[in-house]
Amino acid sequence: MTLAWFARRLMLTLYTVIVVSMLVFAITQILPADAAQSLLGENATPDALAALRAKLGLGDPAWLQYSRWARHVFTGDFGISMRTSLPVGPEMLAALSRSLLLTVSAILVTLAVAVPLGVVAALRQGRLTDTGVSLIAYLGVSLPEFVTATLLALLLADTLHWLPATGYVSPLEDFGGGIRHLALPVLTVSVILVAHVMRMMRSETLDVLKSDYIRAARLKGLPERTVLFRHALRNALLPVITIIALDVGYLLGGVIVIEEIFAIPGIGRALMIAITTRDLPSIQAGALIMAATYAVTNTFADMAYAFLDRRIRYD
Amino acid sequence: MIPALAIRNYTLDYVTAAGPGRVLHDISLEIMPGEVLGLVGESGSGKSSLAWALMRHLPDNAREVAGLLQLGDVDLQRLSPRELTKIRGRRLGMVFQDPSTSLNPTLTIGRQVTETLIQHHGLKPRDADALAIDLLGDVDLDNPAEIMRRYPHEISGGEKQRVVIATAFGCRPDVILFDEPTTALDVITGARILELFARLRRETGVAALYISHDLALVTRVADRVAVLERGCLVEQAPAADIFRAPRHANTRALVDAVSRPERRLVHDKPHDQVLLAASDIEVQYGSGGLFRDAPPPATKKIGLEVRGGEILGLVGESGSGKSSVARALTGLARFSGKISFDEHEIHGMGDMNAAYRRDVQIIFQHPDSSLNPRHRIDEILSRPLKLYGGHLADIPGLLNQVRLPASYANRWPHQLSGGEKQRIAIARAFAARPKLVICDEITAPLDVSVQAQIVELLLALREETGTAFLFITHDLNLIRQIAHRIAVMRRGEVVDLLPVEDFDADHVHSYTRELMAASPVPVG
Amino acid sequence: MTELFIRLMRKPQGFVGVVLLALIAAACLFGPALAPYAPEKIDFLGRFRAPGWQNWLGADQFGRDILSRLMVGARSTVPLAFIATFVGSAAGAIIGVGSAYLGGRTDEAIMRTNDAVLAIPGLLMALLLVSTLGNGAGNAVIAIAVAFAPGMARVTRSAALNVRNQDYVKAAIARGEGAPWIIFREMLPNVMAPIVIESTIRVSFAIMLFATLSFLGVGAQPPASEWGLMVADARQYMHQAPWGLIAPSAAIALTAVAFNLLGDGLRDALNPKDER
Repeated sequence: MTLAWFARRLMLTLYTVIVVSMLVFAITQILPADAAQSLLGENATPDALAALRAKLGLGDPAWLQYSRWARHVFTGDFGISMRTSLPVGPEMLAALSRSLLLTVSAILVTLAVAVPLGVVAALRQGRLTDTGVSLIAYLGVSLPEFVTATLLALLLADTLHWLPATGYVSPLEDFGGGIRHLALPVLTVSVILVAHVMRMMRSETLDVLKSDYIRAARLKGLPERTVLFRHALRNALLPVITIIALDVGYLLGGVIVIEEIFAIPGIGRALMIAITTRDLPSIQAGALIMAATYAVTNTFADMAYAFLDRRIRYD
Repeated sequence: MIPALAIRNYTLDYVTAAGPGRVLHDISLEIMPGEVLGLVGESGSGKSSLAWALMRHLPDNAREVAGLLQLGDVDLQRLSPRELTKIRGRRLGMVFQDPSTSLNPTLTIGRQVTETLIQHHGLKPRDADALAIDLLGDVDLDNPAEIMRRYPHEISGGEKQRVVIATAFGCRPDVILFDEPTTALDVITGARILELFARLRRETGVAALYISHDLALVTRVADRVAVLERGCLVEQAPAADIFRAPRHANTRALVDAVSRPERRLVHDKPHDQVLLAASDIEVQYGSGGLFRDAPPPATKKIGLEVRGGEILGLVGESGSGKSSVARALTGLARFSGKISFDEHEIHGMGDMNAAYRRDVQIIFQHPDSSLNPRHRIDEILSRPLKLYGGHLADIPGLLNQVRLPASYANRWPHQLSGGEKQRIAIARAFAARPKLVICDEITAPLDVSVQAQIVELLLALREETGTAFLFITHDLNLIRQIAHRIAVMRRGEVVDLLPVEDFDADHVHSYTRELMAASPVPVG
Repeated sequence: MTELFIRLMRKPQGFVGVVLLALIAAACLFGPALAPYAPEKIDFLGRFRAPGWQNWLGADQFGRDILSRLMVGARSTVPLAFIATFVGSAAGAIIGVGSAYLGGRTDEAIMRTNDAVLAIPGLLMALLLVSTLGNGAGNAVIAIAVAFAPGMARVTRSAALNVRNQDYVKAAIARGEGAPWIIFREMLPNVMAPIVIESTIRVSFAIMLFATLSFLGVGAQPPASEWGLMVADARQYMHQAPWGLIAPSAAIALTAVAFNLLGDGLRDALNPKDER
């Protein structure tokens, strides 16, 4: 990978983050006819409204408001929460770390389960295993997260009492407890991810198995196991990186619901609280951080993919 | 002496939704050790199916109805999967058509060569590496050690095919099956591969089954030739005899369809006045992106002229820029330079008026993609009539002109064969009553016999209408039969522009000479 | 159109999809008429009644019949998801085809910006918009449409580019056909198929997204019997009346599956090569 390629990717990521920041700012602060009114609600006094307008600088032209906010944000100052009067930044980032714990665990579980299942389904195409796997995948993709979460909670927490229904304990303090509390959320997220990734893996593996180079490898007299593991899997696994990267975006959205249901203090929950309490700086910070995380993850995935797939090396 | 490969009374069906379809019917062939048998047939003749049958790699819906397949003393049909992996590559090798898809893009060349050596000869990795380097050197690859470390996309098509051949020969099998190994390569590269094949064959004494659709090519390469027609073996004879004295009607048709430069099909002379003159044409594809530089131009300031009623041939290999010229002349690619047509000067796409677009028509290479799959034939043919002044009632006449029944007007493109679709494309071009028709490799994807029909049709249309042609092709023998003058392009430049009679003179460019050497005139 | 329908029904996915959708459409159109009880009818004696002859799918915490609520709730969920997808797809299609037609640097600039917008996860985008516009089903529809547009723009652009590179489009350009003809008669018929298929599958996402927004309290508002709302309500009473949870969940899943199957079936049916 040349330096120029790297530089291009980084510039693109920067561009993405900037556009996202503009969009988030526009939706939350510029779009509302009267942001102060919507923040304080209907019962606000005219004085309070005026004070808030002055404080937020809502009278200024849009680009001025944005550049003020952007300048602070890009130096790490996310403002003060209107709800807690504490700095937004540190709290959001701490919440992000907890969400990342959840999402990364879910991704690992997904990889461990979905990839082998997808490959097996492809190898046994048309037979019972394949049909069964495909059906489950179909179902998994057709259930919204809140349904899966609720049903799993009903089964594992409420009925069987294996896992706690809500709550969060930091694994750093209490590893066992932390795992037990994270288990349901991770499981919920994994169900949907597994369904999605499994379908992709199956379809990728099928495509690879039909390719000319696999045929050539077989006809060279290589045993089936070698053909599968040395030739086929390398090619089939490559797109998994891209799929996972795309799913991170979906995950970050889903995390909002999951954390709400299971009371996990991650960035999703923080966002929901910010939205319901109309805490503007927190909404802006949370949304920006989420989208930026997605953009950065995608860039890493691109780089990993390019590293592994030499074909893309020269753009 | 037992044959290296024996096929006796072999019959094969493919079962489809419509019932079983016979693919091979009672085929009997023998290849003695050290002999090369050429197997010729057009598409649908079943020749590739025979190779898959021998390799035991038939599709799931194949049914072997009868017959025997023997490799030396081994009955191929009775092998267990385990025994089969021992035979494949080791005693029966295969070289495929498209080297860019038969090598795994994520493994190094070295790995893909040594794995067979390790698998079949039990060599240690280090010894296998050394042997692989030797083998790659044997196939005339420069710097084999370096190539071992590369990935397939980093070497050229010709080099890839040499790697595949080296791998096949490396295990010293009894028989190697070659499935159209030069079809996907350029003319000159393909010719070199054939030379390589001839040399290796002499050195190793391997027996081979050489499958191709090109009868002329096969007679250069094989000792005996067998001709397949729709699954039946219609003739088998020594290579020299097949051309000189074909016995079966199908073979005769195939022989007749081969392009022979000495057999001129066009006997008139063009007019003197110049119809289209292009000068300093430089074609540029793609501007830079937001972060990228623009690619280099596809052609380097070339000039051409076509006279009224003339057939100008434009010959070159892939990447020579010949298609780019066609696209520039029809306003499909950006270019700089000047085109003079009918006293009208054109400096860019914007200058091309309706009259120009009517008078200069183009026919594309791939009939599958040049007809809109969601338009019926009558709609496709109605467009030029609507644009250039014609009546919808002319459509049956157009179909008639290209020897297709009028009922085809109600059909959809996917219901027609490749040759028929190409005829529709021709009808569409001639509907405008053009002065110049640009044919961009229109015969390349077609079978030889269909090719001959299309060329004959074009010449007949030319007789009727007096149209000039710019005929782009890589087939030098074909163009020498029909063109008045031929331009040879290489890497964006015109290296030669000669009247056809001068083609075997001494003063031709060295590249032209190479091209001629790579397309020899068939014997007979 | 009829031959398209026939081909759609021939494949198992298409067949099942169409049948399910017919059921759902019936629920949307005739739900209130066919429902055994009025959806808001409160019956304190029947609270948490288990599924049985009186309430086929059981009753919720107010004794309201779940089956009736489901049937009426179809109206709150499905048509709105449909509209949101349609608007989002139309907007995305215009951006996508336009970008593909313009080509070059403009295309790249548009697409890079489009991708940047895609960096905001769909649910987040919808939430931000709803929090600005105000809660309610109508705003949720707008929010979902906006969230879908960039994704559809991508899909449309790639389909349009694919078509743009085909020889029949080049032939039309070489003939001197005008831009409107090329876009609408040569390109669009071939681009429609991928767009329709993708949109159909997206309807199932829209349904799930809409239900999620209602679940979170920012979509449809009580006492609407929107399916997501029903799940949110039933959560508290999971122990006593799990059927209150399962029934609407199954309805959402079934509808999503139906649109998925229809999309898959359309993919096969719209391929002209299969016509014989």
